[in-house]
Amino acid sequence: MLVVNNVSKNYGDFTALKNINLEFGSGVYGLLAPNGAGKTTLIKMLVTLISPSKGEILYNGTDITSLDEEYREVLGFLPQQFGYYKHYSPKSYLMYLAALKGIEKKVAQEKITELLDKVALSDVANKKMRKFSGGMIQRVGIAQALLNDPKIVILDEPTAGLDPKERARFRQLLTELSRDRLIIISTHIVSDIESIANEMVMIKNQELLYKDSVENICNTLDGAVYETTITNDELASFRANHVLLSEKQEQSKMLVRFVHKGESKEDWTVKNPHLEDVFLYEYRDDLSLGV
Amino acid sequence: MQIVKFECKKALTSPIILFLLLLFTAYNILIVSNSSDFNKELHVANDVANSYGVEITDETLLKMEKDLQEELTHLNNITEEKAGQSFSSAGEFFSQLTYERQEKYSEDQLDSFYTIYLKEMYLDTAKHIDESYQKIDIKELGENNIQNYGLSGAASESLSKQYEKFGNRFDEMKRNMEHKRWFFAGKVYSMHSQLFKQLFLPIIFESIILIVLSTALITNYEFENKAHLVTYATKRGRRLMVDKLVASLAVSTILSVVLLAVALIVYFKVFDYTHLWHSSISSAFNWETNFPYVSWWEMSFLQYLVGAIALFYICMLLFSCSTFAIAVLLKNSYFTFFGFIAIFTILFMLQGFMPKSSNLIFVTGFNLTSLVLNPHQWFMASNGLLVFKYYEVITVLVAVVVITILFVFVMKRFNKQDIV
Repeated sequence: MLVVNNVSKNYGDFTALKNINLEFGSGVYGLLAPNGAGKTTLIKMLVTLISPSKGEILYNGTDITSLDEEYREVLGFLPQQFGYYKHYSPKSYLMYLAALKGIEKKVAQEKITELLDKVALSDVANKKMRKFSGGMIQRVGIAQALLNDPKIVILDEPTAGLDPKERARFRQLLTELSRDRLIIISTHIVSDIESIANEMVMIKNQELLYKDSVENICNTLDGAVYETTITNDELASFRANHVLLSEKQEQSKMLVRFVHKGESKEDWTVKNPHLEDVFLYEYRDDLSLGV
Repeated sequence: MQIVKFECKKALTSPIILFLLLLFTAYNILIVSNSSDFNKELHVANDVANSYGVEITDETLLKMEKDLQEELTHLNNITEEKAGQSFSSAGEFFSQLTYERQEKYSEDQLDSFYTIYLKEMYLDTAKHIDESYQKIDIKELGENNIQNYGLSGAASESLSKQYEKFGNRFDEMKRNMEHKRWFFAGKVYSMHSQLFKQLFLPIIFESIILIVLSTALITNYEFENKAHLVTYATKRGRRLMVDKLVASLAVSTILSVVLLAVALIVYFKVFDYTHLWHSSISSAFNWETNFPYVSWWEMSFLQYLVGAIALFYICMLLFSCSTFAIAVLLKNSYFTFFGFIAIFTILFMLQGFMPKSSNLIFVTGFNLTSLVLNPHQWFMASNGLLVFKYYEVITVLVAVVVITILFVFVMKRFNKQDIV
């Protein structure tokens, strides 16, 4: 459906993305990387806001730049910073965006009512957005991304500002939508997509690190994730010698989860690796975890 | 169309633009009402044109003189009865009138005497038109201007040539008898300046302010509300900018038409032009300072007004287009506003920096700023340094070409630009 072909993006001397090759079919894809890794740059290229310095992005075999309107017609996009007009109500703002998406007024009115109901904003549909919470604004953003019933939905940090209940509801909505669509969700919160993504894309040092199922990505650390209990005094030297994934205080001792490749010790318990473990391990430098 | 409506709504519901529109409209009404103290006297020019026709001929002047004699007899009947005096003219009556003597006459009687006095003034001016116009030497006027502006070399030659053309036009105007039309006495009422300078000029500035603000607002609205990532990723994409240009032009039309229409309706309600619409703009009465207004073409007052309104509107649309181009480049309303003011000021000052021996001194005058700052001189041959027959047309065409090039450049740049 969507192919990223040898794409690079440079800003002067700075390289934001290097030789990215990706292929997306229907389903949910998680784009996972810490902030500043180039996720947003890739997403902005996928939605034609910026163009690649090198390479091309193809939709059903044709360059998205030459497809122009035809491509964006099937696109739904929620940017990381969803801008809105404070003096507009969700309904009037969505009517404006519907016009930009080429949706007829009558069709748009029906669709907006349906979507506002879906994101639980029906009761504030005509209220000005200036008093809305971050979560409410984000839900307006989600609704606008779905206005044109898109075949490709690209969401950049869609759960930012949502409370746990709203996140659960959002995941449910995505599962519903994912049947015959391509959904790309960029996030740095692993739990948001771990359970719903068919495949994960991870970018490191401006290059593609993984594009695989959650299971296969987790398998890269198979047999290398351990847990053990140490004293508080030992923590500093343990940090210096191992890649720590988590630390948890248990009575007077410390339960640590870590990555170790090589011979294990007797009191270490081998654990099944989770996506979060791979994320923390791969991006340990970016996230400033002790190594 | 739906998108254009949404874009227009952004500017037309902006509190600052609505507030300024109301403020400027009120100010324009104030300008008209502040200068309306003599509007009761203006009926005289209308009455004269109504009674004797708008054209001044020897026959009509004779008829008017005869009628005035009858009115003077009526005046003398009253003055003889009240004060035992008789006068050779209403002017003589008023020159001897003191407060004590004034009390002998009723308000209505004094008003009717004053009307006779004004008619005498109009008749006297009309009788001396040929004499006054014979004294005008266009060549000498050109030489004086060359001297006053300190021109030399090519610039001096060019201006001389223009004044030669003006001389031909002046002779043609006299042959056409365009100057022999009744109009409000310019030296007394300055009605041409009143309308095209005192009223048009503030309206031009007000319209420019509103147009620059609204165009910048419409163009940069998404960037300033951080909604650009959503809007430019929609189906419409970067073509939204074209809708914004159309919306800017529509809003500019609405704002400038409202400002001008309200002001003109109030003006023509206060000042009566009923019988002078078809008088000539080059009338000898339209002579306010040391030289009468002489248009390059034979034009009635109505034609001149329509031409001025059309030119005003074209200029406003061009200002909107240029603001749009600046706004697309700068993507910030404040920078756009100040950028526009900077360019406007530079264009105004440009002519002053040119060598007085070079034709550049004229070339640099062909800009929108110089054009809009002298609305009372539009289409006039007596326009100082800018005494070119097609000055308005050339300036507008130059502006159209420059703005089109700028527009194509900024749109091409915007279409390729990363939106971040």
